[in-house]
Amino acid sequence: MQAIKVEDLSKSFRVRQKEKGMRGSIKAILSPRTEEIKAVDGISFEVEEGEMLAFIGPNGAGKSTTIKMLTGILYPDGGSVEVMGLDPTKKRKRLAYQIGTVFGQKEQLWTHLTPYDNFRFFGAIYDIPDKETEERIGELGELFELDAFINTPVRNLSLGQRIRCEIAASLIHKPKVLFLDEPTIGLDPVVKETVRSLIRQMNRELHTTIFLTSHDVGDIEKLCKRVIIVNDGRIVLDDSIEHLKYGDMPLEDIIVEIYRSEGKVTLES
Amino acid sequence: MRKYAVIYRSVLMENLQYAANIAMGFVSYFIINFVFVNLWDYMYGASGELIAGYTKEQMIWYVMMTEMIWFGARSATIARQASMDIRGGNIAYMMNKPYYYPLYILAKYMGEWSVQMPMYMALALVMGMTMVGGLPRFRAITLPAIVLCTVMGIMINATFKLCISLLAFWIEDASPFQWLYDKLILVVGTLFPVEIFPARLQVLFKMTPIYTVCYGPAKLIVDFSTQKCVEILSAQVMYLAAGSVLMFWIYRKGVKKLYVNGG
Amino acid sequence: MSTVVKNQLRVCLLSVKYNIMKEMVNKVTFLTNILFMMLNNAAFIIQWSILFSLREDIGGYSMREVMLLWGLTASSFGLSRILFARVFTLHELIVSGKLDAYLVQPKNVLLSVMTSVTVTSAIGDFLYGIVLLCVFSFSIGRLFLFLLFTVTGALIITAFGLLVGSMSFWFVRTEMFGVHMFNCMISFATYPDGIFRGKARFLLYYIIPVGMAVYHPVHIMVAFDAGTFLWVLGYTFCIWAVAVFVFYRGLRRYSSSNLMEARI
Repeated sequence: MQAIKVEDLSKSFRVRQKEKGMRGSIKAILSPRTEEIKAVDGISFEVEEGEMLAFIGPNGAGKSTTIKMLTGILYPDGGSVEVMGLDPTKKRKRLAYQIGTVFGQKEQLWTHLTPYDNFRFFGAIYDIPDKETEERIGELGELFELDAFINTPVRNLSLGQRIRCEIAASLIHKPKVLFLDEPTIGLDPVVKETVRSLIRQMNRELHTTIFLTSHDVGDIEKLCKRVIIVNDGRIVLDDSIEHLKYGDMPLEDIIVEIYRSEGKVTLES
Repeated sequence: MRKYAVIYRSVLMENLQYAANIAMGFVSYFIINFVFVNLWDYMYGASGELIAGYTKEQMIWYVMMTEMIWFGARSATIARQASMDIRGGNIAYMMNKPYYYPLYILAKYMGEWSVQMPMYMALALVMGMTMVGGLPRFRAITLPAIVLCTVMGIMINATFKLCISLLAFWIEDASPFQWLYDKLILVVGTLFPVEIFPARLQVLFKMTPIYTVCYGPAKLIVDFSTQKCVEILSAQVMYLAAGSVLMFWIYRKGVKKLYVNGG
Repeated sequence: MSTVVKNQLRVCLLSVKYNIMKEMVNKVTFLTNILFMMLNNAAFIIQWSILFSLREDIGGYSMREVMLLWGLTASSFGLSRILFARVFTLHELIVSGKLDAYLVQPKNVLLSVMTSVTVTSAIGDFLYGIVLLCVFSFSIGRLFLFLLFTVTGALIITAFGLLVGSMSFWFVRTEMFGVHMFNCMISFATYPDGIFRGKARFLLYYIIPVGMAVYHPVHIMVAFDAGTFLWVLGYTFCIWAVAVFVFYRGLRRYSSSNLMEARI
């Protein structure tokens, strides 16, 4: 079964323009100019249940917009989306029980509370009985090795500890699909490796589908078998990582090459 | 001095983008004064009656002027931002820059009120003329003295508020002290003139900054006399000097504490 | 159905509980905030003593009644900002896209958002109102009515805040609008309605809901009137219906929308 099914998805935004300096400021108040840009422009793909997919592209390519449409935050202009057989636009709440989200740059945890209290709160959000939440906290605490700081307020944790808690919190309700938006941003190489192995373990043991965006080639290379590259709102490549690699050229350089060419070049496989 | 001019200019630019917010402030200003017009309409029975030596017109103009200063000088920069810089640790980076932090804040603040104030002034004028009518005792020639007095009042207020914000070096949240200071200025100097209080209290109030911040300028607008003007201006000079010394002293103590304890 | 409601309520209560726990991390700050807010409010007793020394009745109110008015205003605005403070800064959530976090949760977006912030000093406001009532005009019956009207008042104020805050779904540049509206309501709600005439009265009773939140309840506490009482309850219900409708219209816009300039 497909965990995610996307067909001809598109979304445009109106962006306000402001010119330089004082005159620009005044002009922007009097007669704002707007311009329409296509953030996502007719993309289609499918993700199998249990798959780990890297969804990458340069800044502003439409990655976050796509994730937002997959999770029900944003409604598409056109096309269709199905996640775990549900339409995020219509069944947002029901879908929420099935998915988890981690945004590397936006914290979801309450920073003044301890991870433990946070997990209890998330448990309540997902209607999990207290006893079950406790068990779950125990399991996750062990798996993610959180025990040492589970009672320390989140704001006093290191970034690495915090991101481990973020991921653990997003797993409290055993989601079928996990959306990870730059989960390793700002982490040191050792912690990055820990986080990656956790993600791998989760995928293997719980059969969780992983939808990952990242600028870190290490994340992509070490976690995913398949990669989709988007640029300017369109898919420029959808292939296995194996096929992407050729010769001695590092993956990073190949990706940069694809970003630059904006999909005009097709790779020999 | 140039760097302070540049700080001023960039805040000015930023402020122009917030025209909508200023319009919103106008509505609040209008409403507050509307309440007071109604209140004093009710309080004054027969026309020509005096309360604490003020006619109804003078009383309403007085409130409009004090509220104008209150609104025009209002900003989060001296109150919230300064304490947040200190508590959040931003101050450590700002101290190393080639400017003196309290002056940086004051320059930034000046960029804010010098935009707001003329706008509130225009609004106050329109409201006053339409809702109350002209002030019979007002003469245009006194205007320079009044403007000077108002600017001094704002600066004194800014210095004292910044002093309170600088307490953030020692306490987690200085805002409760800001509220109390604000309420003192509001209840004693803004809502009605000092003369309305019992004579013994008036003596006490004249020794607090209240007398120089809102009361002074507003009093000169509704009821100018050279003697009063000299009296208020000299009190203001004293308060500004005292306030500045206090501010620099607190700042130096605070910085020293920061160096010792590392924040 | 009932388990859904129960679960939702549980989340809201937990949220408020954690908010207050968070504020209590530093006990000294927590207590000074509450205490100073009470002192801050008490400063206005000076204003009213002065005004009542000039005249014995102001807009048909005696000192005792003005204190009742002040008390109800403090308590209901306080309660609103203890439980639903987020409503008054809704703008920030909408414009910076922070509603996203609530949209991926399987709970009612509005309730989760509303209960996500507690203002500590509001506890001072809330308590101050009750202290005023006890000092100036205590009776068991009045205390009961006072608490009831604190709740309806808080609900009306919150609904109005929600209506105003939801404007940010359509107009981006409204940062301080909520705060200003809140202050305007307080400006009106702390003066007797008797000093206003004509159009102003209409404005206060029908546009800015100060009349329904504070004036009518004060009149009822002075001299009970069943008709007005039902009127207040009915109004509370209606303004909520409208506010919820507008919020969800706005949310639909948020989800389909142009608000996200530069956040793509």
